[in-house]
Amino acid sequence: MERQVRVLLLDDEPIVGKRLVPALAKLGVETESFTDPEAALQQIARKDFDIVVTDFRMDKMDGLEVLKQVLKKSPRTKVIIITGYATLEIARQALAIGAFDFIAKPFKPNDLRNIVVKAARALGYKINEKLVDSSTAHGDSDMELSGS
Amino acid sequence: MPVVTLSSDSHPLGREIAGRAATALGYDCVDREILSAVADRHDVPETGLHKALEESPSPFGISSKNHARYLAYIEEATLAVLLKDHVVCSGLAAHLYVRGISHVLKIRILADPQKLAGEISSGRTTSPEKLSAFLKRRERFRRRWSLEAYRVDETDPSVYDMVISLTQIDPDEAVQTIVETTGYRKFQPMTYSLKCMKDKALASRVRVALIDRFPDVRVQADGSSVVVQTKALEREKQKKTEVIKKLAGEFPEIAAVEVQILPDIFRKAAESFR
Repeated sequence: MERQVRVLLLDDEPIVGKRLVPALAKLGVETESFTDPEAALQQIARKDFDIVVTDFRMDKMDGLEVLKQVLKKSPRTKVIIITGYATLEIARQALAIGAFDFIAKPFKPNDLRNIVVKAARALGYKINEKLVDSSTAHGDSDMELSGS
Repeated sequence: MPVVTLSSDSHPLGREIAGRAATALGYDCVDREILSAVADRHDVPETGLHKALEESPSPFGISSKNHARYLAYIEEATLAVLLKDHVVCSGLAAHLYVRGISHVLKIRILADPQKLAGEISSGRTTSPEKLSAFLKRRERFRRRWSLEAYRVDETDPSVYDMVISLTQIDPDEAVQTIVETTGYRKFQPMTYSLKCMKDKALASRVRVALIDRFPDVRVQADGSSVVVQTKALEREKQKKTEVIKKLAGEFPEIAAVEVQILPDIFRKAAESFR
């Protein structure tokens, strides 16, 4: 039997994890949420994650550093950068380093779900089509996630 | 896949390189051929659209109002094509309004000055000094045009991701370089850059819907929200806001319209002197 997709979510604003963990749970993925980049990297060193979703701007470490460290440990892991400070330069830099995707805040939980599904599929996982693009059914279509 | 915008100091050369790059990449090529459809759609003369891309507004040429309108029509049509990706675009000034989008590779091709001089003089004998002075004048003219139309200096190399001078590089090598660069990961589309392109396309559509009534209108879109800016006198504020909200609200994908009315100081001053 195929194991669950493992997602690590890192954002130094606790509200982000609080709102996104349930949103991702609807996809049937296993999600662990962190607010401290160092603690997140320690967990990544201990456990294999398929997908890492990380904020770009954090006090202790920026998302690009997290991206580099994750890919160093596990090149197959798909890293998705989320940020409230998106620019052309940061976006290009993230992709050049190896980010799977880049999304600007505010976004709707379903936007992130779609990217997570794309990433999971790129890794060969099968995710139920019905769970994607059905934010209305999940009752969170108007809920936007902002922050830094 | 990325979008390539290609501009050049020689329009025929830019068009040639764009066509060859599109063929090599298997992309569509969009250039001034779309202007005829744009003219039909908005019922304006096609020559006017060409003029808007070449000339600044002047009392004896194209009026400021038509200049802004025609460029808005061109921008809207071009962005609709660029939304599809896999496109090389030249001759439509896209490098000036499709900015800040990471999957758009902006290329500037500089013609060999000797060849450019030959192209301009059409075989007539002209002294090198005269030709050099003419080319400098032409560059100043284009600089002025781009600054007036888009507040961007198109002769500034920092506007582009890559500037290729054909003085030492062959056109074949230039095409090869463009093709290779489109393969770089940093130029691939991502959720953020695709959204930026969609926002620009939507803003351009709203602007076209408003520009006849509000020639100075500026529009920014962010998802399903748009911010519209225009100038008005105090007494016109409410009426203008209502009209803008009504017209912009007709777009099914727009959920919120914010109207920012800026004081029209010139008209206010003119009225106070009456």
